[in-house]
Amino acid sequence: MTRALLGVEKLSVGVHVSGLSYDIVRDVSFDLYQNEILAVVGESGCGKSLTALSMLSLQSSPPLRVTSGVVMFGGKDLLTLPRAELRMVRGKEISMIFQDPMSALDPMFTVGTLLTTAVRAHQNVNKARAEEISLAALADAGIEDPRRRFGEYAFQLSGGISQRVMIALALVNNPKVIIADEPTTALDVTVQAQILERLLVLKKERGMSIILITHNLGVVASVADRVAVMYSGEIVETGSVAEVFRGAQHPYSHGLLRAVPRLGSAAQSLTAIPGRVPQPTEISAGCVFAPRCERVKPMCHEMRPALEIRRSSAVRCHNPID
Amino acid sequence: MKAVFRRTLTMLLLLLVSSFAVFAAIRLSGGDVTAARLPASASAADRALFRQQVGLDKPIINQYFTYLRKLATGDLGNSLTNNAKLSTLATEKIRNSLILGGSSMVVIFALGIPLGMLAAMRRNSWLDTGITSISVAGMAIPNFWLALISIYVFSTLLGWLPSAGQGGIRYLILPTLVLSAEGIALTVRMTRSAMLENLGQDFVRTLRAAGVSERRIHFKHVLRSSLMPLISLAGLRIGQIAGYALVVETIFGWAGVGQALVNAVLRRDYPVVQLFSLLLVVLVTFGNLMATVGYTVANPRLRK
Repeated sequence: MTRALLGVEKLSVGVHVSGLSYDIVRDVSFDLYQNEILAVVGESGCGKSLTALSMLSLQSSPPLRVTSGVVMFGGKDLLTLPRAELRMVRGKEISMIFQDPMSALDPMFTVGTLLTTAVRAHQNVNKARAEEISLAALADAGIEDPRRRFGEYAFQLSGGISQRVMIALALVNNPKVIIADEPTTALDVTVQAQILERLLVLKKERGMSIILITHNLGVVASVADRVAVMYSGEIVETGSVAEVFRGAQHPYSHGLLRAVPRLGSAAQSLTAIPGRVPQPTEISAGCVFAPRCERVKPMCHEMRPALEIRRSSAVRCHNPID
Repeated sequence: MKAVFRRTLTMLLLLLVSSFAVFAAIRLSGGDVTAARLPASASAADRALFRQQVGLDKPIINQYFTYLRKLATGDLGNSLTNNAKLSTLATEKIRNSLILGGSSMVVIFALGIPLGMLAAMRRNSWLDTGITSISVAGMAIPNFWLALISIYVFSTLLGWLPSAGQGGIRYLILPTLVLSAEGIALTVRMTRSAMLENLGQDFVRTLRAAGVSERRIHFKHVLRSSLMPLISLAGLRIGQIAGYALVVETIFGWAGVGQALVNAVLRRDYPVVQLFSLLLVVLVTFGNLMATVGYTVANPRLRK
């Protein structure tokens, strides 16, 4: 296997409130390879967005801070990089697309100003050249009338166009990696499909690597190459989309997939996972999923399983499904 | 634009109403203009004759219409105390007041905005605590007291600055600072809280993710959004300064509109009081109008 472009190793992120600290992301490890889309999937609050933000030190700190781990990129650990060097990575090597495009764009400046500001943060070019680059990025993001959008403000754009502007902003310095944090959640279904299509095109035509954070398994199935399933701050299973979807080994991923309604199957109630997600304060020494797990064994309550390679996936489970 | 037009119309109406209010109030407040103009030995008949000459014996409403008619032709009338033409008298006073008020406006924002930004960017440091505490004091201390204390310290004790009068820039320093104190304090606090609020906005994270430098994010993007509430503040400040000028000009012997108005009230010099009170009303409404216009121009959402 080729070397990973980006490697997250044992990343833990904690919250520090009123004298107490809890880790809300624990021991997260994954690799991202050239020219692939890795989906990070899990329910709301499982720590997937926080993981993404922490990789570029964009989490609101305080109260959130990385408590351990490394994020290796280009031979350097992004978490210990000096501010000035980190700034050179942000947007230029790795850029991000956010969930709510309407509030993610500065309302006081035109789309053009935002884009040229981003260009000139990394490239020493004059205004006219920065404008050319920006217009090209808008076109690449699938915007039909780049010149018109260039002069508009965020409030004049629809949700879909805003998200495309966000994509243009992420593309404008031609990064190697794009982290897309729920890029389609705030959009309606047809626009969702267009945005995902755009991400696929970027991967194919530019050989980009994309980390796609989502809670939508349909999205994962349609665009991702590999998937990492997160539960309560931990990755419980990671593998190729085909493999995980065909036969999930972790009881949680298995349950998650069974909870998706299928078109054409006989009308019956969906299978739900009993119980609820533990609070960060309730994390015990054992497996985080043990209290809700139907395959639970005595040792699950005592010892936390490690993420172990089984077949070509990695699973964090003492009693995985075969 | 429609809002601006409506504001202008309201402003004119307000001027008419307040001109009558001032006109009537000063006449109904008692006191006697003849005390200032005629010698103490003047007889009751002399006083009555003087009143008749200047038209004070007629009903107030008639006097008001005469006043309006003259105003329409550009005749501001004469002072009752020294018979000077008001148009000449006013030019000088207005110029002096504009110098003092104008420099206060400049000082308020030239000091208030950078200090507020500094406090926000060094949040919870000793610098922030210092700036914030001083600005609380700035808002709490009444300006007449601050005026007296600053005269005592800087003129009497230290002898650095003149205590009163007009002259070079040295004469301007103390009155300007006293007149600006509250405005600076308010500007500091508003800038600080707006900066902090906007720093938490999603768009800041987007800019950071794009690799835009912290300095640029603070000085260009966050500052721009944070200046919006200050536009309204600036408009309202014009009126506040005009009001405070009565006290500050009187204490510092600054020969401006404020001082002239105070003296005119004490002497029951009706035409002077009317003119300068109206000027204050004009300033306050003008300030409000400017806030609306400024806000509309600066906010892309309203501009479009």
